[in-house]
Amino acid sequence: MEYLATTLTFTGISLIGVLGVYLVTGLTGLFSFGQAAFLAVGAYTSAVLFKNFGLPLPVAAIVAMLIGLLAGLLVGVPTVRLRRDYISLVTFGFGEAIIATLNNSTAITGGATGLSGIPQYTTLPVVAVSVIICLAIVISYKNSKYGRQCLALRSDELAAKSMGIHVERLKLVTFLLASVMTSFAGVLYVFYTTYVEPGSFGWVVSAEWTIIVFVGGINSLTGAVVATILLTGLPELLRFASEWRIVIYCTIVLLILNFRPSGMFGEYEFSPRWVKKILSKGAKIT
Amino acid sequence: MNIQLLINGISLGSVYALIAVGFALIFNILKFSNFAHGGLMTVTAYIGYVASLFLRNYISSLPLFFATLLIAALGGGFLALILERVAFRRLRNNNSPVIYYFISSITMGILMENFITIFASSNFYSYPPFLPASVIHYGNLSVAIPDLLMLFFSASALSILLFVLYRTKLGLAIRTTSFDVNTARLMGMDPNAVVAATFFVAGILGGLSGVFLGINYTLYPQLGQMIVKGFVASVIGGLGSISGAVIGAVLLGVVEISLIWVVGAGWAPVLIFFIMLIFLLVRPRGISGIIVQEKA
Amino acid sequence: MRKVTLLVLCGVLVIAMTILGGCGSNPSSTTAKQIVIGNLQDLSGPTSVLGNAVTRGVELSIDKINKQGGLNGSQIKLVTLDTKGDVQEAIKAFNRLADQEKAVAIVGPPISNIGIGLASIADAKKVAFVGSFADPRATVTEDGKVHPSMFLVQPSTVQYGEIMASYAVEKLSLKKIAILYDQSNAYAVSLVNPFKKYAQAAGATIVSEEIYSKGDKDFRTQLSKIKDSGADVVFAPNYMQELVITAKQSRQLGLTMPFLGALDYAAPFASLVNDPESASNIYFANNYSDSEPQLAEVRNAYKVKYNEDPINKVYLGYDQMTVIAEAIKLSGAATADKILEGLNKVKDVQGTTGILTISPDNHQPVGLSMVMYKLENGKYIDLGRYIPEKHKKQ
Repeated sequence: MEYLATTLTFTGISLIGVLGVYLVTGLTGLFSFGQAAFLAVGAYTSAVLFKNFGLPLPVAAIVAMLIGLLAGLLVGVPTVRLRRDYISLVTFGFGEAIIATLNNSTAITGGATGLSGIPQYTTLPVVAVSVIICLAIVISYKNSKYGRQCLALRSDELAAKSMGIHVERLKLVTFLLASVMTSFAGVLYVFYTTYVEPGSFGWVVSAEWTIIVFVGGINSLTGAVVATILLTGLPELLRFASEWRIVIYCTIVLLILNFRPSGMFGEYEFSPRWVKKILSKGAKIT
Repeated sequence: MNIQLLINGISLGSVYALIAVGFALIFNILKFSNFAHGGLMTVTAYIGYVASLFLRNYISSLPLFFATLLIAALGGGFLALILERVAFRRLRNNNSPVIYYFISSITMGILMENFITIFASSNFYSYPPFLPASVIHYGNLSVAIPDLLMLFFSASALSILLFVLYRTKLGLAIRTTSFDVNTARLMGMDPNAVVAATFFVAGILGGLSGVFLGINYTLYPQLGQMIVKGFVASVIGGLGSISGAVIGAVLLGVVEISLIWVVGAGWAPVLIFFIMLIFLLVRPRGISGIIVQEKA
Repeated sequence: MRKVTLLVLCGVLVIAMTILGGCGSNPSSTTAKQIVIGNLQDLSGPTSVLGNAVTRGVELSIDKINKQGGLNGSQIKLVTLDTKGDVQEAIKAFNRLADQEKAVAIVGPPISNIGIGLASIADAKKVAFVGSFADPRATVTEDGKVHPSMFLVQPSTVQYGEIMASYAVEKLSLKKIAILYDQSNAYAVSLVNPFKKYAQAAGATIVSEEIYSKGDKDFRTQLSKIKDSGADVVFAPNYMQELVITAKQSRQLGLTMPFLGALDYAAPFASLVNDPESASNIYFANNYSDSEPQLAEVRNAYKVKYNEDPINKVYLGYDQMTVIAEAIKLSGAATADKILEGLNKVKDVQGTTGILTISPDNHQPVGLSMVMYKLENGKYIDLGRYIPEKHKKQ
């Protein structure tokens, strides 16, 4: 049972990260390879504050999210003016720069040897509640005016601009929201694994999250959620074929890209309306 | 600055240049960043290794080196053809947005890296010594012979490429198709053939890069992650420009070496990031790129 | 819509299978008369060569013990799980070993990151984690208290760093030292600090300290600086791949001074460098010496089974199991807490890597010397055991 709890907790934390990517990549069409760096920012800030300065956990968490916000600003402000291809490069560079900084600041962060001895405060209920809150935030964002503007931006930036949408500010806001959420996920992460090292926050993690969003379907939030559960749970299931696991994972992605490019869930969204439809029409679903 | 540093920087740059050009070629024609190129380099490096193991009983030293290069290059070309077929052909036929090519290429890259990990394990391998490990000493400076060879090969490969692109019919076809696929088709060119040819050439370059990387840095599954340097170099040089990619690469090599000298390898990535950021803000089209107005 | 329902069903199925897979897998049915020992190693990740070697060493030891009738009348069963070189995976695997497989002791990897990461969990679960994670933080907390469940069966990086420093300064009389290391490598960092302290206390000066980061493959700038600094020896306690590249590049740049390193200079380093001239003038300390008699049995058994020579990690694995077996003998029972008790009392046990005594204060070995080796023209030369005065058992 503990094994299941561990898997679910990790899945939940990843899910919050994926939600961040969903906002930035799915909704707004920006490719960020540095999302995992915000995970690092959140994790390290809260851990250091808690351990070295003795701040209570909630305070440390909030400060961590604020620092995440600042970092998001630092990266976001110049980035939103750039071409699409460049955004991935800059965010990638940001991720690597963060890791390098963490490695260098041995005095505070323990450098490469990592930070250990952090008590385990995150439990499955905490993660579950966090996931629900984040989901609520993302859903309301998506359905709000901002969400629709983001979609417009993603489809055709030039046209969106000509409609009066303040493109750069919108990109920045979305990016900041994602960075804060991911920093929070970082706090959850460090207080669960009790140990962090800079190496676990590389661009590969960000790429994995992006791939999950794509597999689920960029237009579908439900898709992102289900894809996370599947693609985080699938490796566990495929433990016996552990070597081939990533190969299978990649093959699934390629198959989806080629044969069902809109992702697993396409345009579909789970919503109360759908549930009502099922209940009322019974077996007859169109 | 130290002349030795400059030499080191240029030799590092020539390694990056070969990677950057293979990368830029694909960007030129298909307008996306082909991250699978990294995986391709890794696989071809290993192909070269296997070939050299087999052949070292028959030939040695310089001929062995050339044979390995040849096999790796050809292997790379064919692998690239397969790659195009599997990962990108259908996307082209479906007229998928550029994002999909991107994701597909990253996935293929990860896939290839993992294939190597499965079949060759995460351990690293060394090429058999091709050349009497030789160095030329000139006063206090030293240049390694493998580096010189690489510089030579990069330069020749690039000149041949430029020649093909600007002086042959095939090159004309490639440039036309990259300008506008549909019009090219109207004019009677077969875009599929042109794209395939481009990939083949990129694959050859990738094969060469793979072997050189393997010689310099030993063979290991993550060898392909050097592609990021190629990407950076292409961006600095101007996405879509071949000559820009070369200039960008050499520049990157020199800057990296100087930064390491000045601030140490720890802070170098941070500084490179900032430099790149400023560069992109000030001159987003790169050194010799063209402004492509992004419509969407 | 139907397609969607199908997809949703698939998803539910997968989740269901995961749940079943997680709980239902009967912990490998243990009959009442078996002692379950866990083994946590990297079998498929970047350090899988080491992980597989340790596993083989442990298996050899268990084979021998089982053939002699087992311990306390019960046969030993080894359950090995793959950490893939990742701390997160290791945490999951450790929990599985302790909770589901009911292991009474777990053999650990020679990887410090994993040792440090698992320390508080091992303490919480009260199951002994016996490994060769040399970073002292794996066995001792930052306030100086020992981790009750963590045990180290090879000299810690502090001891190793001091051994190397002592050899360089006191034995080889090299007083101008340069250091080149990967600052993102916990192992290297934890070797450099004690090395520096000891060397400086013994009268040497550190004339140059150059770093690089994980993934860097070009050290020529750092090596140039070292060359210019006038050092007469370089300490490079890094991973084998980087050492191979360093050896080639330092030769290219014309560096002639000797290099000192850590365990990663051991085989198969020389064959991977592929160039006898670069694999020369290198010193390092290894855990074992082929000339010592206690190894012969293990080495022969290994050769017969695997048709190759064992590397140092095999002997470490073997010794780790020997120590666990000794703990069971000393405490008289094979339960988790009894083993913890027994491990604190291990004294003067003959292992393949030397005479093993575990200190109850820091759970590290006391008075364990290492064997100095020199690499000359691609050949390993055994220089005999070496131990600084400070380390000798009082």
